[in-house]
Amino acid sequence: MKEANVKKILIVVGTIFFTLFVLIPVIWMLFVSLTKDLGFLQGGGVNLTLSNYVNIISNKNLHMLDYLKNSIIISTTVSFLVIFIAGFGAYAITRFNFPGKFTIPLMMLAISIFPQISIAGYLFKIESNLRLINTYPALIFPYTAWTAPLALWILISYFSQIPRELDEAALVDGANRKNILLKIVFPLSVPGLISAFLIVFIACINELLFALLLTTDYRAQTISVGITLFQGLHGEIPWGELMASASLVTVPLIILTLFLQKYIISGLTRGGVKG
Amino acid sequence: MKIKKNGEIRTAYFYISPLLTIILLFILIPIVGTFINSLYRDITYLPSRFTGFTNYVDLIKLSDFWNSFKFTTLFTVVSVSLETVLGISFALLLKEVFTGRSFLRTILLIPWAIPTAISARLWQLMYNYNYGLLNYFLDVTHTGAKVNWLGTARGAFWAITIADVWKTTPFMTLILLAGLQTIPDELYEQAMVDNATMWKRFLYITLPLLRPALVVALIFRTADALRIFDLVYVLTGGGPAGSTRTISILGFHYFVNGDFGTGSAVSIIIFLLVFIFSFFYIRAGRFKETL
Repeated sequence: MKEANVKKILIVVGTIFFTLFVLIPVIWMLFVSLTKDLGFLQGGGVNLTLSNYVNIISNKNLHMLDYLKNSIIISTTVSFLVIFIAGFGAYAITRFNFPGKFTIPLMMLAISIFPQISIAGYLFKIESNLRLINTYPALIFPYTAWTAPLALWILISYFSQIPRELDEAALVDGANRKNILLKIVFPLSVPGLISAFLIVFIACINELLFALLLTTDYRAQTISVGITLFQGLHGEIPWGELMASASLVTVPLIILTLFLQKYIISGLTRGGVKG
Repeated sequence: MKIKKNGEIRTAYFYISPLLTIILLFILIPIVGTFINSLYRDITYLPSRFTGFTNYVDLIKLSDFWNSFKFTTLFTVVSVSLETVLGISFALLLKEVFTGRSFLRTILLIPWAIPTAISARLWQLMYNYNYGLLNYFLDVTHTGAKVNWLGTARGAFWAITIADVWKTTPFMTLILLAGLQTIPDELYEQAMVDNATMWKRFLYITLPLLRPALVVALIFRTADALRIFDLVYVLTGGGPAGSTRTISILGFHYFVNGDFGTGSAVSIIIFLLVFIFSFFYIRAGRFKETL
């Protein structure tokens, strides 16, 4: 067989496998969230309905909207804090010569892959003593520390592409460093800021271990905890409602990701792993 | 000039101090604190007592610990290998020009964007004995008997591995695709002139030139897989009968049961294990050069 044909076949097979691999679980989730019961698998008919969505939103005991609200507040706060903290850090690293210029960012990188379990127990103890357990700050502080290194590296890679001559020129014109960062470097690296923001935001929505240990009820628990602890009242998991809750979170996230994929891809490839 | 330099250093530390402070308070101090805790008998309602390395010695004698260790390393090896093979295949596919490529590139990020707890629930349903799509498929196509995916140690191992590969392959693909794009087209054109087959071009051009990106991605994903917690916690809770209890879950169980001393010892062990890989990751990634 000619090589061009082999290639064509590989592309077709690859495309089909790729599509099924990625989409089947998601389509199954959406489908189950829209069905009344799963009896159709044993030969019954399919009842399409929105009742699962109505139930999870109207049933206040499930607290789905509370979890969602907590996640959004915590993740947004952390993202802004991290951008600010990592922004100043990345500026110092890319613009100044100082002892630690190399050690600090490399140490941060090592930190960004440490296992969360290695500090979770200790955080629980401190936060219990400070009576922080089950509050927003209980998660905001550790999340900020845990995601800052990632954002730092994304921002370093953007800031280092902005010519230092711009800074020098502004300095000559009498601008101070803070204004150079806020009025020149930040505006010029908006794509980098968006990309760091998104990566941090999604990491916070995603996090489970800290959230399980440091929060105890709907007043501070995040959506990941809510989905993890989702239980039926009568033993059997209510799959329809669970998948409706999952879809409620997943669909906006997928839409966000698809629209902003350019920023996410650049964040992922610049931040953590480099070639 | 000297004065300007000192001023610069001061400004630099001033700018980086919020970052250092939060890392110090919420990561470095807790790690040291965890290590100190690991040297104590520290159980809720019992008086705390310094016991040296007793917690570590006890752990090493415990079969639960070794089972966790074995499961975690086996899972890491299998899932990272599978996602590497899939990641390379997907990256090669996405580099080709064909109709549908932009569609594939778009949907690639979907598994990555879904929070792990949710994807774990999603796969829990896929594996469900009665309502799962996988068993439904086996049943309808008569390809085999229904599998008790989450009820047997072996089924649970593969269930976790497949769900993890689904979630992490997109990341691997993106990194490798970025690596592929740095390989100059001229090399392939030259090879075509020399009549090198597709397989040979892959073996002698793509693979060697992709190696740096591949090594870094592999080390990163290995460190990441070793610390796995959330997917397993939601999907199997460490069961059946503790067969899928990862090291992180083992530590978590100790904390939840109020045994902070032993939990901290487990945490320090997994910390050191991951740290070795992150050290190699930083060296292999030549991060220092980008600074």
